Amino acid sequence: MQISGLGTPGIPPLAATPAPAKAGLDSFGDLLSEAVTKVNDIQWQADTAMMQLAAGEPIDLHQAMIAMDEASLAFDLAVQVRNRLVEAYQEVMRMQV
Amino acid sequence: MGLTSSLGISGSGLTAQRLRMEVIANNLANINTTRTEQGGPYQRQDVVFTPTTTSPFRFWLASAGVESQQPLGVQVSAIEEDESTPPRMVYDPQHPDHNEEGYVAYPNINIVTEMIDMMLARRAYEANATVIEAMKSMALKALEMGRS
Repeated sequence: MQISGLGTPGIPPLAATPAPAKAGLDSFGDLLSEAVTKVNDIQWQADTAMMQLAAGEPIDLHQAMIAMDEASLAFDLAVQVRNRLVEAYQEVMRMQV
Repeated sequence: MGLTSSLGISGSGLTAQRLRMEVIANNLANINTTRTEQGGPYQRQDVVFTPTTTSPFRFWLASAGVESQQPLGVQVSAIEEDESTPPRMVYDPQHPDHNEEGYVAYPNINIVTEMIDMMLARRAYEANATVIEAMKSMALKALEMGRS
């Protein structure tokens, strides 16, 4: 919540400028969508590794397996985060007014 | 991104051991090669490992801007020819590659040494794979903590 300072009366307010990208101060929704994009990227990289392996390109088998392991762990983590969020939301909704 | 870099360390170890295995296979395949492009017999090749400070898994580490100087695995810096032992000379005037005294120069590859190197490379590969399993189970344990 932003509390703007008192402007000097008589001076017109500044024209609305687009807010610059502030790392770390994005909204929680942006943070979540960024995390989901990262998990998606990791999954996509694992998929690419498997396709390269199937096509016979010079990729090591263990690199493909490691990519798949990381994708699965990242996805598990994302699912856990989702569970926590849903729990927190339900907790909040249970509060009596 | 601790998990990515730690899996990357073992991944680099696996890649290095696999390359070492390929060099050993090449040595064994060329154990009787008497004629190469350089003229002499095939020289035994050996890998040189050096620690690396950047992870081979660069695709998603670059976004984090990790510029650490700590060692992050191993890389094969060179595949060098082993000049320490002379070629094995066998007297065979019938062979097309014999020199003026009738001796043929065979590569300086000892099959027993190569077999032992092969076993060592295999054990090192298994050790790295075990490390990856251990790290994976640690990560899954950590995820279980969140499960109430």
